[in-house]
Amino acid sequence: MSFDIEQLDQADLSLLETLDHVLNRGLVIAGEITISVADIDLVFLGLNVLLSSVETAHEVLRKRE
Amino acid sequence: MSELAYYVYCIAENAAAAQLPAASLPAAIEDESKLEWVVSNDLAALSSTVPRASYTEESLAEHLSDASWTAVRAMRHETVMEYVARRASVVPLRFGTIYLERAGVERMLEEKRRELAQIIERLRGREEWGVNVYCDQTTLMSSITSVSPVLRDLVDRAAQASPGQSYLMQKKIETLKVDEVRAALTRIIDEIEHELSQQSEDAKRLRVLKVEATEYGELKAKFAFLIKRADFETFRDAAERLAQTHQATGVRLELTGPWPAYNFTRID
Repeated sequence: MSFDIEQLDQADLSLLETLDHVLNRGLVIAGEITISVADIDLVFLGLNVLLSSVETAHEVLRKRE
Repeated sequence: MSELAYYVYCIAENAAAAQLPAASLPAAIEDESKLEWVVSNDLAALSSTVPRASYTEESLAEHLSDASWTAVRAMRHETVMEYVARRASVVPLRFGTIYLERAGVERMLEEKRRELAQIIERLRGREEWGVNVYCDQTTLMSSITSVSPVLRDLVDRAAQASPGQSYLMQKKIETLKVDEVRAALTRIIDEIEHELSQQSEDAKRLRVLKVEATEYGELKAKFAFLIKRADFETFRDAAERLAQTHQATGVRLELTGPWPAYNFTRID
């Protein structure tokens, strides 16, 4: 199944924004296990993958409500 | 029993953490685990245990390429952050700050005590707000003649010129329009940044993740502003004034937040 960015509603866009905040911002303190920046960028690489993950995140959030 | 590691979300003053007992907090990043404050002196790190096997460097690299795994955990991280940031001054950490043992978290709090306290102090009573600037290219293109003095002048002269001259000038106008649209947009975005920076304590221009069409047009710029809670209304009014001023040119502003201050954690 593929997704088109134009099918994204406002909630999806704010979800993208949230992911960007959590994954790319915030103080970096080198923990004992470190994630390299390259790995984080990987997440934003494939749009299709990301959008399907947005769906999953919605499902998870709905279940928790 | 499988081995565990400590995932850290944020750092607050111990006095503030004491007002937020673990039982009152949202769900942790992994289902089987609960949030807890790890305390050292006057600081406390909000953390929860995670299965060490899924959070080694190798398996994390693998998990992170599975965007649904990452999205779910990033959302939980954010839910926790938002809850705490509304109730205390906290330093938000980037996703994936992990220690092998509780003692490692305590050591970090001790070693970074001074700078963490400094950031907590700087963020107290403040929130991060995002401003996204969208532009509808078609509207801007059709309104550019009235926005750009150079173009307006050419249009006036073309109207009075002979048919032959007027034709050549029209050609020139069409070519110039593209450049002028780009220049006008840069000018508008700079103005927005300048005006809103004056209404905030700190400002940061962020990268635009990807340029895609939305119902507001294309996302052209993203900013983060650090604002005192008491100053937010003034800031919002300024943003609304800017939005009204530029509406006719197809430029739209979107305000997002309040966010935990993810973009303002640098150490001075």
